[in-house]
Amino acid sequence: MPKSWVVRGLKKGVLTTGYPDAKPTSEELPDRSQPPVPAPNADWTAGEKRCPTGAIRAGEERIDLGSCIYCRLCSSAGFAFEEEGRVTALQASLTAGHGKATGQIFGMSFHVMMIDVGSCNACNLEVLNLSNPYYDLSRLGISFTNSPKHADALIVVGALNPAMTDILKRTYESMPEPKLVISVGACAISGGIFRRAEGFVSPVGDAIPVDVTVPGCPPSPLQILEGLLLATGRMKKDDDRP
Amino acid sequence: MTQAYLISGLLWGTMAAFVAGSAFGFFSKKAAYLLGIAGSALGAVLSLVTLTSGGTAVVDLWQVTSSSSAQLQVSQFNSFFLLISSLVWLGTCLYSARYDDDYPKSLSTLLLLTILSMLFVLVSGDAITFLLGWESMTIASFFMILQGKGEREGVRNAAYLFLAFGEGSSVFIMLAFSGLFSAAGSFDFMGPNMARIISPLGSWVFVTALVGFGLKMGLAPFHMSEWLPIAHSSAPSNASALLSATLTLMGVYGIIDVVWHLGGYQLWWGWLALAIGGISALLGALFSSVSEHSKGLPAYSTIENNGMIVVAIGAYIVASCYNLAPLADFALIAALFHAFSHSISKASLFLTNGWVSKLRGSFDLSSANPIPAEGRRSLGFTGIFTVLSLAAVPPLAGFVSEWMILETLFQSYRFGDLTSQIVGTLVGAVVALAAGIIVVAMTKVYGFGILWPRRSAVKGEKEGLSIEGSLAYFAALIIAIGVAAPAIFLLASDAASQTLGTNPFGTFVTGLLGVPAPFVILSGSPFGGFSPTFTALAFLIILAVVLISAGAVHARPLRFGLRVRRTQGWFAGSARTNDTTAVYNSFGYSTPIRIMFRFLFRTKESAVQVGSVQRTFIRSPEEYVVDLEVLDVFKKFYDVLAKWTLGLSAYTSRKVMPGKLGLYVIYIMAALIFVLIYILLTVS
Amino acid sequence: MRGEPGGSGTARIERRNIEGLSENMQLSSVFQAGGFAYALVSDTQANKTILSELPPTLGEEFGTLLRGSDAKAGISLELEAGGKVEGYGVFEFPYGPVSWGVPEAGGFRLLTYGERVLKVIPQVNFKKRGVEQGVLGCEPEDALLLIERSAGNFSASYSTCFVTAVEDLLGLEVPSKAKWIRAVAIELERIHNHLYVFGRLAEAASQNVAAAQTQALRERVLRLNSKHFGHRYLFGFNSLGGVRRDLRKEERGNLTNDVRLIAREFSGLVEYFLSSRIFLDRLQATARLPRGDALVLGAVGPSARGSGIQWDDRLTYPLEPYEDIYVNLETEPGGDTMARTMVRVREIESSTIALRELLDRMPGDGTEGNTEGHGVGGRTEDFAFCRIESPSGDLIQVAQLDSQGRVSNLHIRPASLVNWLPFAKSLEGNVFTDFQFAFESFGLSFADSDR
Repeated sequence: MPKSWVVRGLKKGVLTTGYPDAKPTSEELPDRSQPPVPAPNADWTAGEKRCPTGAIRAGEERIDLGSCIYCRLCSSAGFAFEEEGRVTALQASLTAGHGKATGQIFGMSFHVMMIDVGSCNACNLEVLNLSNPYYDLSRLGISFTNSPKHADALIVVGALNPAMTDILKRTYESMPEPKLVISVGACAISGGIFRRAEGFVSPVGDAIPVDVTVPGCPPSPLQILEGLLLATGRMKKDDDRP
Repeated sequence: MTQAYLISGLLWGTMAAFVAGSAFGFFSKKAAYLLGIAGSALGAVLSLVTLTSGGTAVVDLWQVTSSSSAQLQVSQFNSFFLLISSLVWLGTCLYSARYDDDYPKSLSTLLLLTILSMLFVLVSGDAITFLLGWESMTIASFFMILQGKGEREGVRNAAYLFLAFGEGSSVFIMLAFSGLFSAAGSFDFMGPNMARIISPLGSWVFVTALVGFGLKMGLAPFHMSEWLPIAHSSAPSNASALLSATLTLMGVYGIIDVVWHLGGYQLWWGWLALAIGGISALLGALFSSVSEHSKGLPAYSTIENNGMIVVAIGAYIVASCYNLAPLADFALIAALFHAFSHSISKASLFLTNGWVSKLRGSFDLSSANPIPAEGRRSLGFTGIFTVLSLAAVPPLAGFVSEWMILETLFQSYRFGDLTSQIVGTLVGAVVALAAGIIVVAMTKVYGFGILWPRRSAVKGEKEGLSIEGSLAYFAALIIAIGVAAPAIFLLASDAASQTLGTNPFGTFVTGLLGVPAPFVILSGSPFGGFSPTFTALAFLIILAVVLISAGAVHARPLRFGLRVRRTQGWFAGSARTNDTTAVYNSFGYSTPIRIMFRFLFRTKESAVQVGSVQRTFIRSPEEYVVDLEVLDVFKKFYDVLAKWTLGLSAYTSRKVMPGKLGLYVIYIMAALIFVLIYILLTVS
Repeated sequence: MRGEPGGSGTARIERRNIEGLSENMQLSSVFQAGGFAYALVSDTQANKTILSELPPTLGEEFGTLLRGSDAKAGISLELEAGGKVEGYGVFEFPYGPVSWGVPEAGGFRLLTYGERVLKVIPQVNFKKRGVEQGVLGCEPEDALLLIERSAGNFSASYSTCFVTAVEDLLGLEVPSKAKWIRAVAIELERIHNHLYVFGRLAEAASQNVAAAQTQALRERVLRLNSKHFGHRYLFGFNSLGGVRRDLRKEERGNLTNDVRLIAREFSGLVEYFLSSRIFLDRLQATARLPRGDALVLGAVGPSARGSGIQWDDRLTYPLEPYEDIYVNLETEPGGDTMARTMVRVREIESSTIALRELLDRMPGDGTEGNTEGHGVGGRTEDFAFCRIESPSGDLIQVAQLDSQGRVSNLHIRPASLVNWLPFAKSLEGNVFTDFQFAFESFGLSFADSDR
């Protein structure tokens, strides 16, 4: 019998997640994507000392999600994490200085371009995973493009390497208005763990204005998707948002 | 009666202007060209008058025999071709006024002499005058080509090739005429005498005429060592324009004239014409798209377009054999229309390219030389319309004519028997393929020839009325012919009516689906139709709507301009540099075709090691010089044939004619002159 | 000098000084440690690793490429194989560093006269994040954070390699079970990376159903990672002296089952793939790399095995537990994209079998290891290296600690770094459209090579 890819594909059925119409399941939000939640007796000073990226700010008693790489070393200082299996809300947020393009509805025609400015490749792969059958970006009218002149949004992954600074700026300039910039991953938002090595990387926000940040190391595809939907004003209200 | 006087008066005026121009060429080039412009204008007026009024005029030159005389005649048929030629001559003379500055004075004389002889060919009333004009046209062009800039050796070779094949075509034409003469009894079988000649030698006449005129038009497989591209690219640009646009037009005129005068069509003539035309079209398109020479490329395109005209003529013959009157009429008019659009577009392309090459100082499309920024606009503007017309983009001239040819072939299902249908379909496929491939060539010549050469910082001088005027003139013509296609259709129908008996205008140009008459061209109802006028109108309306709505979205009135932010082109993130080694060049653009069609081109890719370098990591990495060569198989064949012929003739001449060859040539010429004088004295 | 991990199989390393490279030898790494320059050489015939002082004949010839840590950020490095190419119509075609075909920051300069690639020059170092510099002065546990994120999709290999080297240096006893768990992670990583490559090849050939199904399969593997190791890309499961996650019996049962299902699904895909003429046609005879070139240019991993070189660290430099389980050495003689793809396909299959064996025979329900009582001290001239077969090929790390037990020197020789020149060589003479296939089939990663 001749082997038909079409038949094989049809037999597979539908694998796509229900999000954003349905809540994400625990499989889709892996363990390490839950942010640290300070317990009432958490030792902020010890936590700040332990944190490798300076995400725990003892002075303000808050956690900077953009710097957090979710390594959980702070659990020794009394920072707890949500139990496994319980699904919490996602963490993308609009930046303080976000432009007026956020919230605009691009409808079913939202073109994003991914640019890597110095990542470990994990965030790249997670962004590319958005087009696999489990997440299927195209059903939401979002598609990838490879030229900034056709792009509505720029997804930046990776800690900004000096070699890529000019290139990033050029890419941003080549985009027509209205445009959005979405930083994905701790490295893009704050430089991540690579700030340790002096003189190597910087946050993306130093070079171009960023509208939406999606923290994580790497953020799972659903979290990135949430960031995209937030950027275009399609985010559904979620009570669990921190 | 007055009409005939008017027409003959205009004819005399035209001739006088050109003669005077040739004479003046020795003193003042500008005066010569001015007279040339005047003569062309008169010629255009003459042809329009004749076409619209339907009159004819005959001028007797001298008595040749008691029954026949050398005549000039103007009728609707040859006025059509005269119109095309005059329009081209006008633009070329205007352009030459400035372009000629670098060339010696003799070029202007030769140019006008060539024009004069072409005029003779067109208005000749009998075979002798035709041949006279034909020969002088060839000889004048020969000297004109010799003026070309380029290597001395190469230019001489090219001119010689041109002369050789020009004479070759004359030989075949004489053979054809001999056949016609034997049936007609006199030489008056060109022009006003529209009687069909049924000759037992009909096939002989047709084939020799096809070969003879085909040689002039550059049809494959008679393109014999690529003489046409070589000759046309070595000549000065205004000469090239003349050669490609109007000289080959003479070939078209000749074929159509012979075909008209010949009665008793046979089916296989049509098949032959279809096949030859189809092959020429395809080969011309292919070689055009891989040519790197800014004038060689359009020259190959001439071969392609002439092939298409011959295809239309073939379809006309086949349709006539099956008595499919509307289809035959349509085919003939398609041929005429295509001749019109091709001549104008090709002349324009050569002139534009010539100016660009002059500014760049190189004919190589891959050349990195810059051209001054000033004056690029007119080149770009004319260039785009020319190229689009040749690439058959609606609503320009080239589209209408190519559409008509393809429509004719689509209707080959109406042919009587299976073989004709198959031939028609196959040739249709080949022509369509050629029309597609020529787009590569046209985008290449525009993109790399006109658009790409970098602007240099040097400001350059304004080109002046001559160049800008002639280029604008051609652009306007191309747009006009396309948009006002029904008007041209009218003229072509008038031209064709003399032989078809009826004026087919009404059958083919009507109104349809709400578009009022006479703006729709139908290829035979209920088959296909198209309205170039309304396409142009629709385009303009859409453009206006887009501009206005864009202005509205940006909430500013259009007159204050749209909000504009300029940024660099996207170069994969890197900064755009002026380094031309890092951008696509013309050679790379058509290499995919060289590789795809490697069977035809015998593409050979080689890498020759020229050295090696001791480098870190890799022991002795080699350095290479790479090369990609294409080959014209026909050229190879003809080169081999030529070698054998030379060898054979050298051998026999030594055997048969020992002694100085020059003496023998003199003997022959003396004998010829003697015979001619004898005939003149005894026959009258 | 320490350099022998694990305690078993001392025969796989030879410590002797060599004069130069003989036939079948490949220079794998060059590094500085304790004031000397060393060379690590792989003898593919004898299946041995040779540690030697850097012979003068090899000295400068391989310097920049393999040392790498000297390179600063922000300066791109161009890797050129072969000499100049000139001719009529030859021009340069820059591709990248922002391009869709290559989803990372890295560029290429292609020399061509249209359609035919005459030469490729990769431009790397756009992503140099300074991992080797950033770990200096860190505790090994903290250094792990950086090293895992050197190449995110190879993080299990990177962290295991580093941790093994440091454990050797300190003489730590690591529980067997921890080592077996590490192997499970490495094999899972191998599977999802090879599936990624296969999916990209299918996408490049426009086989959309094949690509989608492969991507779906990969997503399942990533979710398995997340379920059993806590992170889709296996960050943070390794620690000095052991691992942080345990695989209990029921969990192992579930994992075995899932792996079996994935293996079955994949073999169905392969069956369809092998009967898909169009797909096969794109891969066959594309980007051929002859064995001699692969050896000289230093190719490693499935890219080398696809050219007939028989080297797999799991067999030639086996850490526990690879000596106890069966892993097949997959090689193909062809050297074209098809050969490299078939090597990867078979490695997926053999990894699933190895995984099942690992899970079945995992020793004891003992505790996860921890870092209690690791020996601080040891001579500061000591260094240790470890080689591991990452999905992209042979990964070498050399580590040194100071007197307080912090990292004083780290040298990483990633697999992708040495695969660039073989890739460039193999692409010469192919047409533009073959670029994507060649690039994907070599499994190259800029993040990996730039660290």
